[in-house]
Amino acid sequence: MNGFHQSFLATAAWFSSCGLPGWLGLVLAGVVFYAVPLFAVVLPIAGLGQIFERKIAAAMQRRIGPSTTGIVGILRLTVNLALPWKAKAECNRLAERLVAFGPVALLDRLLTRTGVAQLAADGVKMIGKEDLVPSGVDGWLFRAAPYLAIAGAFLPFVVVPWSQHLVGADLSIGLVWVAAAGGLTAVAILLAGWGSNNKWTMLGGMRAVAQIVSYEIPVGLCMAAVAMWCGTLSLQQMVAAQYHPGVLSFLGWNLIQSPFMVILAGTFYLAAIAECQRTPFDTAEAESELVSGFNTEMSGLRWGMFAMAEYTETFLIGALFAVLFLGGYQSPVGEQWILSLPPLAETVIHVAIMTAKCLVAIWVMMWIRWTLPRFRIDQVMRLAWLKLVPLALVCLFGLALTMLLGARIEQVAYGRLLSAPSAQLPLIAWALSWLLAGGAIIALVVAAKRSGPPMPAALRRLTTAPARKA
Amino acid sequence: MSRQPLDAAQIHALVVERFPAVTLERSENAQPWLKAPADGFLDLARFLKDDPRLAYDSLMCLSGVDLATFNLPPAKPVPPPKPGAAPVPPKPAEPIKPVEPSLACVYLLHSLVHRHRLMVKVLVDRNAGVVPSVESVWGVAGYFEREIFDLLGVGFAGHHDLRRIMTPEDWTGHPLRKDYVYPTRYNGVELRRAGQRFEDGPYAGNAP
Amino acid sequence: MTVEAYTVDGDLMTLNMGPHHPSTHGVLRLVLEVDGEVVVSCRPDLGYLHRSIEKIGEFLEYPQFVPYTDRVDYVCAMNSNHAYCLAVEQLLGSVAGSEVKIPERAEWLRILFAELNRISSHLVAVGAFAMDMGAFTPFLHGIGLRELVNDIFEKTCGARLTYNYITIGGVAADLHAGAEAEILAFCDTCEREMVRFNRLITANSIFKGRLAGVAAVSAADAVSYGLVGPNLRASGVDFDLRRDEPYGFYSRVQFEVPVGGAFAGARGRVGDSYDRFVLRCIEILESVRIVRQCLEQMPKSAAKADDPVGGWQVDANKQLRKPPRGEVYCRVENPRGETGYHVVSDGSRKPYRIKIRTGSFTAMSIFEKLVPGLMISDVVAVIGSFDIVVPEIDR
Repeated sequence: MNGFHQSFLATAAWFSSCGLPGWLGLVLAGVVFYAVPLFAVVLPIAGLGQIFERKIAAAMQRRIGPSTTGIVGILRLTVNLALPWKAKAECNRLAERLVAFGPVALLDRLLTRTGVAQLAADGVKMIGKEDLVPSGVDGWLFRAAPYLAIAGAFLPFVVVPWSQHLVGADLSIGLVWVAAAGGLTAVAILLAGWGSNNKWTMLGGMRAVAQIVSYEIPVGLCMAAVAMWCGTLSLQQMVAAQYHPGVLSFLGWNLIQSPFMVILAGTFYLAAIAECQRTPFDTAEAESELVSGFNTEMSGLRWGMFAMAEYTETFLIGALFAVLFLGGYQSPVGEQWILSLPPLAETVIHVAIMTAKCLVAIWVMMWIRWTLPRFRIDQVMRLAWLKLVPLALVCLFGLALTMLLGARIEQVAYGRLLSAPSAQLPLIAWALSWLLAGGAIIALVVAAKRSGPPMPAALRRLTTAPARKA
Repeated sequence: MSRQPLDAAQIHALVVERFPAVTLERSENAQPWLKAPADGFLDLARFLKDDPRLAYDSLMCLSGVDLATFNLPPAKPVPPPKPGAAPVPPKPAEPIKPVEPSLACVYLLHSLVHRHRLMVKVLVDRNAGVVPSVESVWGVAGYFEREIFDLLGVGFAGHHDLRRIMTPEDWTGHPLRKDYVYPTRYNGVELRRAGQRFEDGPYAGNAP
Repeated sequence: MTVEAYTVDGDLMTLNMGPHHPSTHGVLRLVLEVDGEVVVSCRPDLGYLHRSIEKIGEFLEYPQFVPYTDRVDYVCAMNSNHAYCLAVEQLLGSVAGSEVKIPERAEWLRILFAELNRISSHLVAVGAFAMDMGAFTPFLHGIGLRELVNDIFEKTCGARLTYNYITIGGVAADLHAGAEAEILAFCDTCEREMVRFNRLITANSIFKGRLAGVAAVSAADAVSYGLVGPNLRASGVDFDLRRDEPYGFYSRVQFEVPVGGAFAGARGRVGDSYDRFVLRCIEILESVRIVRQCLEQMPKSAAKADDPVGGWQVDANKQLRKPPRGEVYCRVENPRGETGYHVVSDGSRKPYRIKIRTGSFTAMSIFEKLVPGLMISDVVAVIGSFDIVVPEIDR
């Protein structure tokens, strides 16, 4: 890590020695050393997220999904370009013979069936589309919006740790940076909505801003609670704080430290889905109500940038959820052993684990998206202000109380407190708190079910399986 | 309330007490209907709906019929052109001389209380014929009336929003009239060759 | 649920919903005046799909018009065929001694296919409605089930959408070989899958929350504004033409007529959007019942070997029969409610006037009254819950 950073500084110094101003040298070196690798990691993942989503949606809807585009076209193009002196037909024949060759055929089938080849085709199509700027739009805002959306989606990744050594910049105010940079998305959507000079986009933009601003609060409260618990705002240190020696590393994860943490995790997850405008909170895009919401007038690459920003954001939420609640890049078992590996092996394993955690979080998000209908905008706002904000506040105070008690009575303390860093939870107290919390939740749910009116007979009949005929 | 449906004569007897101008008629296939004058039709409609013995609470259908050619003898079928003979240009259609009143508004009523039906017809002149609107009695009548206004050109007095509904607002003529001449151009778009009538289109030579 | 204690404040924005909007189910245009998200007034603008089918009918012979009835409502073409053919048969038979005789098997086939088409039409209705509410998956599950119906139709009559199957005097063709087994298998699949469908979307609490109490229509309004079929019954009016004015062989089958009952729970009201949705889900299952009974009661072979399923009505000279002068109004229960054909005959081989009364057209008349006060998202719910099919409005 240090070596990497030193090469970055050296490059910046080299740029300066070439006569560039110092700040420009730093920026250029930053692009080469940080931005390009970041994009190289995140961009394909965002693209794969799209294919992932299409495949998941297809499975839930009893379709096959993208399954026909292969690599023959790319091979033809490549052969034609590589052998310009040969006739086109001959090149095509060659490409087809190549694709029939065992390993290539296997690769072709793999890329076809998984739909990955479709991704390339879609990308080329999107880039090749006409750059359409409708008349009457506010040109500057309309053009700037996609870039801001991309920036808002990618900038938070700067502080997300992928392993002990792989992190863009381990800022001491990491969480604040995530919240601040992520806020750019709201601006982007508002600009797109307003700048498109279209009533539907404006409605979408207004909805989006109202919604994002509202859901920033529960998200912020959840982040604050976790920061308080771990005693740091740096994401890298937050991961480190969840380290638990021994075989069962997952015992250190924030999620299972306290019942409040579970509620906070749920709140964070819901609010984060709402912040990145996915079903059931996709009121800003709401294709059946607002045509396509804020990006109605966007087409081609502009639309593609918004789509990419959306998938990157889902990825970001997965990463944040992992860092805040699931121990970040740490393995659920045997983390101690992984840490003792050489840095390269450790990094590879940790990146894989982190990606897997992200994918699980994204998968749940997609599961929700393809199952549930959409809330109305007033219901969305009601959910934020009347349910999630109070819930997050209660949990924040509950967590604070736990820490206070833990600091006072050292034996009952659980969690890792800065004041009592070595205090470990006695097993009985830990189990007792979970039992109490679980019992309370079950009691509440049962009470809520009892108090409501019974399900009408017609509905009950609709949702029970027909009796088997003899 | 009895479910015994009334027959047409009984219904007419009830109606004629208050509206002596209403007569009971029969179509040639023995379908009975009431013929009502346009004047005071709104009162008749209210009576039909509100009288507990009739209680026609739903307007099943309101259709407009142009009777201009209903009583004319059917046109002679055009003989198929002989092979080799020069095509005979179709004769220009003679202008239709309808017998007034030639437009009929047919109100088809149904009572959900008594489960009986009634057909009421109001006949009006084709030029400036006006029927009182009954949308205050049956809410659905508003749209039916707009359709008849648009396609047959019957006016409805007291309608809150009498505009064309199927054709564009700047359309000319009333397409469902029997003497309708299909426009050749609309807003610069060529529709049919000049002078060609709707009847002379792809269905020419298929006369009854 | 509308916005509480709401007053119009400031300028209004005119919003054109349609004619090319994803959830106006075709080319329907609603001119909305909105104050923020709340609709202040709604003015439907119809006619974008007006094809003058009624005028075209005046230039065609009676049987030639049957394919046009397919196009009046292409989601349930079979039912439209049925309505028109019944009207013409009534007209032909309105003089004593000239009744149209339809083979028994053909009568069974008519209601069998009418009910299958009702199932497929309702599947599109509930699926598309769920999609309007943002749930895409139920739509494809519904469409997937509808494919099975389409396959059966395709094998019997050769078409998947516009069937031209029911003819004046019978039906166009007998069932294909093995159809009974296929239809029974479909019935089982449909009942099984509908449980999944209802668990997925009907019982979903977000879905209920979206629709509970939205755009409730009182029984009096529903009758006055000419709502028909499931929309009328959702408002609590117990009226179904199949039961109350039975045509064909509907008097020989048993089925229940569901009526709206504030299914959405505490916040639901009789006649709200959710009731209209649930009613269609129930009707699908009732139609499955009718289909089963048809297959049980249908005579296995036709009475007359050379004319198993009826056909065009011809006289002794093999000329098409001309109906007598006169008129008839015949109405049947379609998936979108009462469809009436008012046919006037001047004694020639062509109808003098055909007036088609459709459920979607009359449902549009209540929009101006119902929509103001709702939010934009609810307008979509209203369109979907009334199961608007635009060609049926414009004809």
